[in-house]
Amino acid sequence: MTNAEKHDARASRHQIPVPDASVSQILGLPAVYVKGARKSFSGREVLHDVSLSIARGEVVSVIGPSGAGKSTLLRCLTLLDTFDAGELYYGSLRVTERDENGRASYSKDASAKARMQFGIVFQNYNLFPHFTVMRNVCDAPIAVQGRDPAKVEAEAKQILERLGLAEHAEKVPNQLSGGQQQRVAIARALAMHPKVLYFDEATSALDPRLTADMRRIIRELAADGMAIGIVTHEMGFARDVSDRVAFLLDGRIVEEGPAEEVMENPTDARVREFLATAED
Amino acid sequence: MMGMLLSGYRISMIIFAVTLVGSIPLGMLVALGRLSKFKPLSLLMQLFISVLRGTPLMLQMFAVSFMPYYVFGLKTDANFPMIAVLISFVINYAAYFAEIYRSGIQSIPRGQYEAAEVLGYSSRQTFQRIVLPQVVKRVLPAMGNEVVTLVKDTSLAFSLGVLEMFTQARAIVTSQRTMAAFAVAALIYWVTCLIIEYIMRRIEKKLDYYHD
Ligand SMILES: Nc1ncnc2c1ncn2[C@@H]1O[C@H](COP(=O)(O)OP(=O)(O)OP(=O)(O)O)[C@@H](O)[C@H]1O
Ligand SMILES: [Mg+2]
Repeated sequence: MTNAEKHDARASRHQIPVPDASVSQILGLPAVYVKGARKSFSGREVLHDVSLSIARGEVVSVIGPSGAGKSTLLRCLTLLDTFDAGELYYGSLRVTERDENGRASYSKDASAKARMQFGIVFQNYNLFPHFTVMRNVCDAPIAVQGRDPAKVEAEAKQILERLGLAEHAEKVPNQLSGGQQQRVAIARALAMHPKVLYFDEATSALDPRLTADMRRIIRELAADGMAIGIVTHEMGFARDVSDRVAFLLDGRIVEEGPAEEVMENPTDARVREFLATAED
Repeated sequence: MMGMLLSGYRISMIIFAVTLVGSIPLGMLVALGRLSKFKPLSLLMQLFISVLRGTPLMLQMFAVSFMPYYVFGLKTDANFPMIAVLISFVINYAAYFAEIYRSGIQSIPRGQYEAAEVLGYSSRQTFQRIVLPQVVKRVLPAMGNEVVTLVKDTSLAFSLGVLEMFTQARAIVTSQRTMAAFAVAALIYWVTCLIIEYIMRRIEKKLDYYHD
């Protein structure tokens, strides 16, 4: 997708009136915003003062070499782990509070609310093997969000249709290929109506055709107004799909900006070096 | 002869059924206690499991049957041996089942918990909807073995004088001086085990709609 196309996608989105505009949209707040995040494991700091935001309709990739802290950042953003310090917002919802020692504290209530704002497609999908595709998609909206089963199922059918999974609705995950399972994981996340969707290594298991499909799906979701956060070390994909990329090196974001700009003319020497080795 | 054997069989099956009905859920509580983050509870359950699996069931039965007299100074009535058998069987099998459940629960990948957490499931929902159904499938073969063992273990009630099938068979053999009663009893135990194995296979088949 060229820049012009991306721009068109965004422009057309803005022409669509959004009836249920939330506070964060009105205020133009990013869908997710983290500032000054720190994280240590047994005394060794692996995230140093990381700040990042993703706007509605924006695709942001965090790239960097192995051990840079990408997974750690993603785990903390999805509340599977906690930042030691820093501020985390989902829209207007403040997730972390500062305690008297300046450390980040998480209330149960804010965390539960935040969980309804994001979804994640795990690297190995983590589908529920004993549920059919349909049940994988519908169970949480019904059991967790308490929504009407008939409506959830009708919507799930649409989502599966859109992701090309309609004929697989009654299969169980292990009857599907890896690429199909990944799309089920996307469907499962989408059924919860997240504002932010994260991908851990979105394409590591996909062949070139499926990678192209995944790019298209992600761009469509962004065009619908979703904020997309991707963690990957696949440079080509990150460049193709992202509006912005952030380079994470040794737990610091050393460079950040529009995808083409950062990947073609990085200012940081270590990024240049990393890109050069990643080419081949 | 058949009348005595069948009345014994009825008692054996009561021991069998009560043990399963009691120990299957009790074992789950013990397993959850064993896996609890609350250390004292976890250690206590570990001790419970270790002692009950590490000592003979026969000895446990005697311990339970003499407990009222030696510990509380109570006289027990004629029904008490059966009650002692049921109590000790339920507790003993709960310990075995708890270990099976524990390894089943621990074999569920962490990713399942993480997926559930991100989707907002409470820990109770995660256990009931995601973990338990998968644990059931994983523990079924091991449970099947224990259930078959239980059929044969019911004959241990003989040592407390409970009139289950083996006790009856022995009485017949002693009075009639023929081994026929033992042979018939053996056949009945064996057929019972075959039926149970068949039922277990049916359940396993039912859960065969997915692999993980
Ligand atoms: N639970 C943990 N306990 C201790 N150290 C950890 C833990 N998780 C991650 N680390 C360390 O934190 C650093 C960052 O790891 P992380 O997994 O976030 O890197 P990554 O960028 O995702 O790497 P990769 O591309 O290989 O997935 C590494 O040095 C790692 O060893
Ligand atoms: Mg990683």
